[in-house]
Amino acid sequence: MTSKDLVLESAADRTVRFERDALVFMDQLYGAALRYTKNPEDARDLLQDTYLKAFASFHQFEEGTNLRAWLYRVLTTTFINSYRKGQRQPQISNTELDDWQLASSQSHTSDQGKSAEIQALENLPDSDIKRALAEIPEEFRIAVYLADVEGFSYKEIAEIVGSPAGTIMSRLHRGRKLLREKLKDYASELGYGKQVTP
Amino acid sequence: MSHLEQIPCVEVLSSVVFIIEGAIEETVNPSAIQGHLLSCPNCQAEIAHEQQMHSLLQDVLRRTCDEKAPDGMYSYIHQQLLEQSNQGISEVVTHFSMTEVSIEIDEFGNIEHREIQIEQTHIQHFIEDQSGETK
Repeated sequence: MTSKDLVLESAADRTVRFERDALVFMDQLYGAALRYTKNPEDARDLLQDTYLKAFASFHQFEEGTNLRAWLYRVLTTTFINSYRKGQRQPQISNTELDDWQLASSQSHTSDQGKSAEIQALENLPDSDIKRALAEIPEEFRIAVYLADVEGFSYKEIAEIVGSPAGTIMSRLHRGRKLLREKLKDYASELGYGKQVTP
Repeated sequence: MSHLEQIPCVEVLSSVVFIIEGAIEETVNPSAIQGHLLSCPNCQAEIAHEQQMHSLLQDVLRRTCDEKAPDGMYSYIHQQLLEQSNQGISEVVTHFSMTEVSIEIDEFGNIEHREIQIEQTHIQHFIEDQSGETK
């Protein structure tokens, strides 16, 4: 065996290992890319970039740790660093984050309000759910997506996104709230969950 | 001695996200929240509603966001990975191995057999420059 064979073999082995372990998450990562970028072309590009970057630094990945979370980190940072150039994102200010508890509703919901909300969620078409998700601010969308679709804990999300855990907690809280408000609005436009006046 | 610190409903309701995330112990005053919940049916109902809404929202989001990567994506990425792995040779491993065998027969016909094995591995790393060529 020549030295060239050895080199090619080890590179090939690494490729095989990467493909075996990482490409199984392709559909999931594409789903996330689609929600992040909001359009299929950018989602494809983002998915490709993510895999190529992950492959290039695959030697840094510690085997036995969570590959899926690692891939989401590559996806999310790639998105944050490259894909939102041009589309200026209003950043959430720190004071705003500190006030998040005050901004939440502090009173008990009426029974009517509760059943209206449930009815709204149960009846809305998928297109409205996607629309609502697309309309909430990016930081919230990413946090809610990672928690509620992908099932990551808020601590894992903090690592994926590179923000403190407390920040993620408040983004989850406000993101879900915004999402529910939007869904309630859409539902009432469609005539669902109208509150009956006593 | 002291009873559980009394906290208002507002404080319990503002911790709802911690309760949903299973992180109640991360709040400022977990035992006060738990104590309040035990004795306040309104807050109990509110938390139950929030939990129900969260699991409904989760179901709806998971159903809606269940996507499939476009056709051909897998083979396209496979192709790109192959290209990258072929051009991106970053190290050359040279493995050298030699075995020296000597057999000696003395005047009495005794045979002495010796084997010496020498092994050496040399790993050379390449650093990619701007033009993408390896040096």
